[in-house]
Amino acid sequence: MTLNFFEPATVLHLGEPRGATTRPTQTTIVDELVLARAKAGNEAALETLYRHFEAPVYTLARRLTRTPHDAEDVLQETFLEVLRSIGRFRGDGSFAGWIRKVTASKALMRLRTQRSRVPEEELSEELADAIAADRDHGVAPIATAPERLDLEAALARLPNTARAVIWLHDVEGYSHDEIAAMVGKTASFSKSQLARAHARLREMLEPTSEGPCT
Amino acid sequence: MHLSLEDLLAVRDGEATADAAGHAASCPECGAEIERLRTIQRGLAALPEDRPEQDFWPGVRAALAAHRNRRHWLAAGWAAAGLAAAFTLTIGVRGGLEAWHEAKLSRETRELVAASQQLEQQLRTYGSAGRVVSGRTAGTIVQLEDRIALVDTQLSRAGSDRVPSQDVLNLWQERVRLLDALVSVQTSRTAYVGL
Repeated sequence: MTLNFFEPATVLHLGEPRGATTRPTQTTIVDELVLARAKAGNEAALETLYRHFEAPVYTLARRLTRTPHDAEDVLQETFLEVLRSIGRFRGDGSFAGWIRKVTASKALMRLRTQRSRVPEEELSEELADAIAADRDHGVAPIATAPERLDLEAALARLPNTARAVIWLHDVEGYSHDEIAAMVGKTASFSKSQLARAHARLREMLEPTSEGPCT
Repeated sequence: MHLSLEDLLAVRDGEATADAAGHAASCPECGAEIERLRTIQRGLAALPEDRPEQDFWPGVRAALAAHRNRRHWLAAGWAAAGLAAAFTLTIGVRGGLEAWHEAKLSRETRELVAASQQLEQQLRTYGSAGRVVSGRTAGTIVQLEDRIALVDTQLSRAGSDRVPSQDVLNLWQERVRLLDALVSVQTSRTAYVGL
């Protein structure tokens, strides 16, 4: 059996977010053959799809949710839904775009259900510490303000909504209108959250500087 | 007067008004700020890709297979009931030798199994009732069913060692919680169609 099911490409497709910074790994198109096999329930094809999209889906889930455990749950829920309903995928947009949208939807839903349980700001701080500890194998504590944070740690410290919006807009390439639809708010809300996220990032990345434009 | 952060972002993204774009083109400070925003954006996009620490494909595959075999998860309730019965039987045989903690785990697990079966019985009652359901409600039901299928898969895996554990207890707690949510949804649905 040939394993050459996927042909990497760096093109955007109809229905894709239109951001210029969309990750190349997430714009990979899927060969029609593997899709057809997966739709027919071929287990090898289903696993091929899983293996191919596992990392991008987990990464998106990891950026949007609070903990690795949350991201793992989103990963499983996403693939369960996508692979179960793959027979209904008509190919109007790219398969990668579809799976990414399902991932974002699952992650945002998880954030919504958790929002009422733990104060958002408090948890983001805890999360950033956990990420830093995890990255440094629990040896080196994370730098705290006014020390300079690296971008990944600073991102993790953002409030959930701001973090989700900046990632969806600046990295995944979703428009404010699309984000608004996903989070059930207005485009203005998305814009203000994006600005808030950048302001907070600036505070953390350049703690002694002041923005020239106010 | 410099541009606001929202305006700077709009200029960066090519969505600014003509006035804002004009100002950005002629103001070195705002231009530098826009470049800084672009640098942040590139930095975010360049963050390394993550991978889960364990392989979840076997669980997803098992859940998919379970879904294919059972168009409605209610049928899965019987499998779970069988698993629960085996679990309870094992607990009974081992009962005399269990330490206190193990006995406590066993008791709590049995209670959760019973609660789970009771909720399943309720759901079987609702199963043939409502026919009208909104898209949103249907989505909620599907998601709850998916998560129950995942829990069942994990329970099946955990059930092989036949020893009560905190992990198994947690899974049954999660199952009861999800079933309870599903009963709530089904109750609303039944009320909605006036039954």
